[in-house]
Amino acid sequence: MNITEDLKRFIDNENDSNSQKRKSDVIKSIEKSYSLQKEEYKYTPLLKKIEKKFNLLPENKEIVSQKSYSEIKKNIDSEFYILCVDGFYKPELSNIPPNISIKNYSELSDKEINLFEKIYQKYDDSKSDFFSSINSITHNDCLTISLDNNFISKDHISIINIIENYEVSNFRKMIFCDKSSEVSFFEQFIDLCQGESFSSSVTEIYLSENSKFNFYSAQDFKENYHYNSINTFQRRDSTSNFYTLSFSGSIVRNNLNICLNDKNCYANMYGFYAINEKSLVDNHTSVDHVDENSLSNEHYKGIMGGRSNGVFNGKIFVRKKAQKTNAFQANNNIILSDKAKVNTKPQLEIWADDVKCSHGCTVGQMDEDAIFYLMSRGISRKESISLLLSAFSSEIIDKIEDDKMKSAFTSLIKNQLEKFNDE
Amino acid sequence: MLKIKNLHASVEDTKILKGLNLEVKNGEVHAIMGPNGSGKSTLASVIAGREDYDVTEGEINFQDKDLGELGPEERAREGIFLAFQYPVEIPGVSTTNFMKTAVNQIRESKGEKPLDAVAFLKLMKEKMKLVNIRQDLLSRSINDGFSGGEKKRNEIFQMAMLNPKLSILDETDSGLDIDALKIVSNGVNALKSNENATVVVTHYQRLLDYIVPDFVHVLMDGKIVKSGDKNLALELEERGYDWIKSEN
Repeated sequence: MNITEDLKRFIDNENDSNSQKRKSDVIKSIEKSYSLQKEEYKYTPLLKKIEKKFNLLPENKEIVSQKSYSEIKKNIDSEFYILCVDGFYKPELSNIPPNISIKNYSELSDKEINLFEKIYQKYDDSKSDFFSSINSITHNDCLTISLDNNFISKDHISIINIIENYEVSNFRKMIFCDKSSEVSFFEQFIDLCQGESFSSSVTEIYLSENSKFNFYSAQDFKENYHYNSINTFQRRDSTSNFYTLSFSGSIVRNNLNICLNDKNCYANMYGFYAINEKSLVDNHTSVDHVDENSLSNEHYKGIMGGRSNGVFNGKIFVRKKAQKTNAFQANNNIILSDKAKVNTKPQLEIWADDVKCSHGCTVGQMDEDAIFYLMSRGISRKESISLLLSAFSSEIIDKIEDDKMKSAFTSLIKNQLEKFNDE
Repeated sequence: MLKIKNLHASVEDTKILKGLNLEVKNGEVHAIMGPNGSGKSTLASVIAGREDYDVTEGEINFQDKDLGELGPEERAREGIFLAFQYPVEIPGVSTTNFMKTAVNQIRESKGEKPLDAVAFLKLMKEKMKLVNIRQDLLSRSINDGFSGGEKKRNEIFQMAMLNPKLSILDETDSGLDIDALKIVSNGVNALKSNENATVVVTHYQRLLDYIVPDFVHVLMDGKIVKSGDKNLALELEERGYDWIKSEN
């Protein structure tokens, strides 16, 4: 594998010894993460598609931006936002809430480094997913966000990632939530790149005891290839809620890995994808129940039109110690055209004996009986389909507790569903 | 109002209607009776414009308009209403939202302005009383988890909301206990006028005690083989359908 030699260059250029060590660790397992591609990317030929198009090992330099991105900022619906361009955090273009520490890793104090060193590349999938491996070695600085204990933010904080100057860009961040803190983020990627590009993003999240964490993401790429890996490590009594919307993009791969490492943890994973044309959206999720009395709940729903491809793979692990686990998973799909496809696979591995687990997936078409029923009351076919598709998405929307995010997601979905109704 | 001439219809190459004639005038109530598989529900679906059925011969005229090429939504906008034998459950769409969309799309097709929220609510309140249906049922997903009686009441509620010229009630009595049957029938009777007409498709005479027909037709093997007044229904109840078969 030639890429290994090329990757070593990044290590040789590294001055910081910690960083060098981290990257060397990844190299050691790169053969393994590469070989896992075959199974883990069975229906998602991401590497094959991009390796010839792009140099996957770019040495991007930060470009001092002359722009204010006022158009983009105008559309941000929250008071506070973090803006990153090509994987570089732009504090001068961001509006940071008080009492939260948001910094580049390279700018952390020694004390802060001690904290983040315990998280950095500890909980991610850099040793099992080839794209995370590459991100770990080639990313520039790492954005760090840390919340003090008892910190509670009412409004969500937006994370705006702009892809602009490079055809390959790598985003990397860590979020540390101290005890009893509560926060919500809404992450979006905005593609200003001319033509095709590849972006990768790896996020590590550490949730301390009794913290509550909400993460919303809306993915609407143009011709981009996107790899996204979110890795969450939860301590006792903590709660995480993930809401992922995926609408387009050449290939979008999402890894959502949650480790419920302690007792009484909650994790909710909700996703909705509505894709068209030749888009491929792949959601790979994994929840690892390590200790007792935790609950995970997962529901992904998707609509496939055109020649699009959906992929869902949901892993649930229940370790021997994790008695009294509740783990639920469901994936429902509607296929709107003869050429669209979905591959869905639940994967449960249970070692404990006192657990409650369920999983189920469905693939179906529009219900013609329901369409006729609506039409027989004077509603056009187009509007009938529209009503039924939005009804299909409502089950996911209803899970959002925050009113502002609920209405934001509702209108994003509504706009997207209108594109499915041209026939 | 409705003139059906020599109607032939089939589904997936199986002929079901084989030359049916029927005329319904303003203010009339017609009952279509017949044994299982005689084509009663097919007739109801074909009039409403269900696309699974192919009309191979004959025509359906509604208010001097050939329905031939009209889709189900266009027929509804012309004033045809089908109360379903098996109302469809649609999770995620409330009946209120459903009716609001329907009422306003029908209005739009006539060049009228959509009803605002206040006017719509007023209309809804008024029609709810007619079939004795509760508000919370209408806020829920359409027919989702409704009992048999609630589903049929919801059909008549929708009928009241849309105020059709021709209502076709397809086996509306099936799955109803006697109290629900009364409520549904009272609703239908209250909506009756000299301007509209009702076609009741049913197996049993029982419903016709409550919705009294002017004409009773017997449908057998895709054709109307006998017509009469309400006494024909009583005779059928007593003697079954076999005697008509031997008559033909």
